[in-house]
Amino acid sequence: MAEPLIRIENVVKQYTRDTQVLTVLDGLSLEVDKGEFVALMGPSGSGKTTLLNLIAGIDRPTSGRILVGADEVSSMSEGALAKWRSENVGFIFQLYNLVPVLTAFENVELPLLLTRLSKAERKKQAETALAVVALSDRLDHYPRQLSGGQEQRVAIARAIATDPALLVADEPTGDLDSKSGEEILVLLERLHSEFGKTIVMVTHDPKAAARAHRLVHLDKGVLKEDVRAKGEKGEIGVAAAAAIAAGK
Amino acid sequence: MKFVPYVFRSLFRKKTRSILTIASIVLPFFVICVLGTLLMALDADTSGGKGMYRLVVRHKVSLGNAIPEAYRERIAQLPGVKDVTILNWFGGQYRDNRPENMFARFGCEPESLLRIFDEVTIVEGKAADWTSDRSGALVGERLMKRYGWKIGDKFVLKGDIFPINLELTVRAVFRGSDETGVYFDRKAVEEGLPLVKGQVGTFWIKAESADAAQRLPRAVDAMFENSSAPTKTETEKEFQNGFVSMLGNVKAVVTGISTAIALVILLISANTMAMAARERVTEIAVLRTLGFGKPLILTLILAESLLLSATGAFVGLGLFRIAFPVLKEGLLNSPMAGFAAGMQLFPEVLMTGVGITLLVGLVAGIVPAIRSAQRSIPDGLRQVG
Repeated sequence: MAEPLIRIENVVKQYTRDTQVLTVLDGLSLEVDKGEFVALMGPSGSGKTTLLNLIAGIDRPTSGRILVGADEVSSMSEGALAKWRSENVGFIFQLYNLVPVLTAFENVELPLLLTRLSKAERKKQAETALAVVALSDRLDHYPRQLSGGQEQRVAIARAIATDPALLVADEPTGDLDSKSGEEILVLLERLHSEFGKTIVMVTHDPKAAARAHRLVHLDKGVLKEDVRAKGEKGEIGVAAAAAIAAGK
Repeated sequence: MKFVPYVFRSLFRKKTRSILTIASIVLPFFVICVLGTLLMALDADTSGGKGMYRLVVRHKVSLGNAIPEAYRERIAQLPGVKDVTILNWFGGQYRDNRPENMFARFGCEPESLLRIFDEVTIVEGKAADWTSDRSGALVGERLMKRYGWKIGDKFVLKGDIFPINLELTVRAVFRGSDETGVYFDRKAVEEGLPLVKGQVGTFWIKAESADAAQRLPRAVDAMFENSSAPTKTETEKEFQNGFVSMLGNVKAVVTGISTAIALVILLISANTMAMAARERVTEIAVLRTLGFGKPLILTLILAESLLLSATGAFVGLGLFRIAFPVLKEGLLNSPMAGFAAGMQLFPEVLMTGVGITLLVGLVAGIVPAIRSAQRSIPDGLRQVG
């Protein structure tokens, strides 16, 4: 049995808009093992991104507990949570969210600025991360000088620069054409298989979800389906992902 | 230090806006420096400390009223008085009444004048040539340059209030605080206008000590209190500042203008910083996702605001340093020469200008910085653009 990296226990997340209370996650419990590649699917408003934010420690549950490794992120102070994020989580956004005034290298170096690494060490680590995403020749390029796929690869390099155990990705291929999207998925698979990263990815795209080894389907804030691929290196498969996404 | 490149690049991400904002800080900063320098110049001692021993006696009612020359002996006998001289404003005009032809013209007692204003040096001609020539003129070095005069040149002052034309000969040139004045023997006026004989505009006293300088004004005024021409005696500085106060409460006006200018910089900087922070809501949320804590975000935005205002302040400072000699030269050749003489690059003024600008930058950055740091990360990430 693999040991769970993420444990979500009876989590409720509610938002208050004016006087209306909106329940986005309703008593959700879930475990993600170390080294798993999990796709979160579900219709809009099902709570996928909220769950991802809670796992990544950028939001807090209304009730319930979230543990990542030995850390209970749901009860950490704001400062402790920021430090925890910088050391344990790499976040990949749909719109890449690179800092436009910084070069690819400087964007990747950003999370390393929060560490105690020397300048030389930061340089080495950022260059390594960019080499992993095959962008060693784009170090000095600004985001505006890169294609969407390249930008997302820089964003992935930024996410892995501090070598976190957990990568969370919110629709990482959602803004890309199919070719670039495919490249990103191949890269994520590599990070999972070669570097042993635990990946939790939100996606609407059955093709993207098909690359994961486990598919969690949410609907109206509750877990509707939790499907694991067969075999150690198995994938969910496009047809199965599409069927789950369609709620069949 | 490792965050400096980020702060610097962020500041100039909208180059045009940043440059315009810096320009709009530079100009008010420049004006604050000019006003502050003028204000300080009013209080500056251009006599090298010697002015603190000088007192001016005039008619209590106004400078337009004369006092009897006979007071001189009585003043000279007071304990603590080292020397006394007479200075009578003449007015009149040289060529015409255009501002460029305005300068101070005084009838005086040459020998005692040089004793009392002993910080003044004769740089051309000889003092004796001037003191021995009743129609001789002692001319400021700057005025000599303005009119291209040489020793021995003659010029005419046309009288207006005192209806007499004086033909004077340049006998000596002086260097001192106000180098745009002309001084001649008052007897030249008295001889042509016997009516004014025995009448004095001001007595200038040189006190023996600082203590005497403090004590003498009351002693002199008490002596003539019940006479037909009561006096008002004050220090040289008080006398000079009296002219400034004729314009109103100059210090209050200048301080008011400077405060208004500081507020303008505040509004401009605050607007820029608010815009910059608003445009970067998502970016700040991303930074926080990466692990940048609230205090660090707050520091980065404040640093950006400070850098913006500091750049404006230092560009303004540089411009002021470049413009200062031109400004001073212009004022020294104007009727304001007396006040401009004390102008210098006062460190207090420059530091105050920089301080105000930095403070304004700090205040302007606080609200956007706190707002950015307080916004929840998911809210920030949801905001597009």
